[in-house]
Amino acid sequence: MANTARLGNRVDAGLLIACVALSLIAIVLRDEDREPIASALRRTIVAPLVGLQRSAERWRVAYVTNDARQMAVDSVVMRTMDAQALQVENGQLRRLMGLGSRLEWGFVPADALRGTAPSEALITTLTLTAGSTAGVTRYSPVVAPEGLVGTIQTADPTMSIAILYTNADFRASAMAVDGTTFGIIYPHAQRGSGADAYMLELRGVPTKVQLKPGTPIYTSGLGGTFPRGITIGTIVTELKTSEVWTRTYLVRPAVSPSQVTTVLILTPKRISQGTGNIWGAANAMNADSAAKRIAGAGDSLAKRAAAADARARATVLDSLRQAAVDSALRSLGIAAPQRARPDSARRDTVPRRP
Amino acid sequence: MTWNTAVRTTVACAILIVLHYTLRPLLAWRASIDFLIIALLIGSVRLRPGAAAVYGFFLGFVADSVDVSGFGAAALAMSVVGFTASWLKAVFIADNLALNGFFLFLAKWVFDVLFLILGRHAHGAELMVQMFVWSPIAAAVTAVAGVVVLTIMRPLMETRTA
Repeated sequence: MANTARLGNRVDAGLLIACVALSLIAIVLRDEDREPIASALRRTIVAPLVGLQRSAERWRVAYVTNDARQMAVDSVVMRTMDAQALQVENGQLRRLMGLGSRLEWGFVPADALRGTAPSEALITTLTLTAGSTAGVTRYSPVVAPEGLVGTIQTADPTMSIAILYTNADFRASAMAVDGTTFGIIYPHAQRGSGADAYMLELRGVPTKVQLKPGTPIYTSGLGGTFPRGITIGTIVTELKTSEVWTRTYLVRPAVSPSQVTTVLILTPKRISQGTGNIWGAANAMNADSAAKRIAGAGDSLAKRAAAADARARATVLDSLRQAAVDSALRSLGIAAPQRARPDSARRDTVPRRP
Repeated sequence: MTWNTAVRTTVACAILIVLHYTLRPLLAWRASIDFLIIALLIGSVRLRPGAAAVYGFFLGFVADSVDVSGFGAAALAMSVVGFTASWLKAVFIADNLALNGFFLFLAKWVFDVLFLILGRHAHGAELMVQMFVWSPIAAAVTAVAGVVVLTIMRPLMETRTA
């Protein structure tokens, strides 16, 4: 019994010594010798454990970086939103700069701040960051690159308030693209939704004139408040009214008040001098006139062709009639009167009378 | 050791080894729990010292294969710790949890000291800080975790052998 116990102790000690010896050998092994052993272990027995460890570390990294990643995503989303807003603003500023360079002089640039409460969906006034010190006066026209925005209602030294075309008090003398059809622009009483949220009415158009949908409408310059040729909008349809001698049309404005952020205010001198062909009214009018001239020219050609045709037909009939008369006279033995002058025709071509 | 005890011990050690490669990297504490030491002690006290040394050797070899430096250091340290734990099994298998915790603390610290010295993982002041600051903390954490594990696994480990 004691021998067995002693043997067991010796075996235990031997195993410990063997393990320690093997461990020491592993420790003193060179890297290139120990790596194949470690690699073989990693690929076989330890492989599932290494897989578990890798997954756990991946979870850990995902957990630790989650907040940072969420913040990064939030930042990217915010930047994207800012970029979109900047892109829109950039486009507006570019267009405004283009309008400014075309106008060259006689305007005051201003930022447009919406003074209405958030619950008030209809925008009727704008607070502008330019006032009388900069040359802004009451009733100065407020324009955007797309066209007419409104008019100045109040001009303080450093700021001013403009009423938009959506305001119930807004009026503007307008004309169609042909330059001969006139009317007065009013804000449309019934408010729609979406693209039809802000509409205008062109009233007082003579009954004999019928405007087609899509016809551009410009300021006429009558009355002296707005210079001639600022784009107001386009005709949508005719409205049914009780008026007998005049027509009323629904007009879609060129400028959307909700998207106006920067505007130009025209000075009184510029109003008196006019804006020229800034919004392309003259081009449109020229095109309209050209179309009318082409139509007129077409009509003249048709008339001329018809006249020529009638003349040719009359000539043929006349010739036939003359030939019949000549043959009748010949059969009766009466000499036909000479029509061709001898000196005006070759002798050999003139038939000799028998 | 009966078959029943052997199977239960094997299952318990397998769970602890899996925890070492899943929970430990997930927690990633500076002074982390060493579930391999707990598994080593739970197994060793049910084996003869020689077998415990071999068990420790293989467990250490597995740990070494994942470690890039100090190959063999963990195997040697675990062989020694396993042999000692088996030799002192009468202490460890006592029902006193505090004594078990202290034994786990001691085992982990001895393992760390051997591992650091043999594996040449640190030198000079860094070695001292590691041995006398971080290793005791890690040993304490391991002891607490070991006590919790032993409490949870008590129904599984009820059968004891002499």
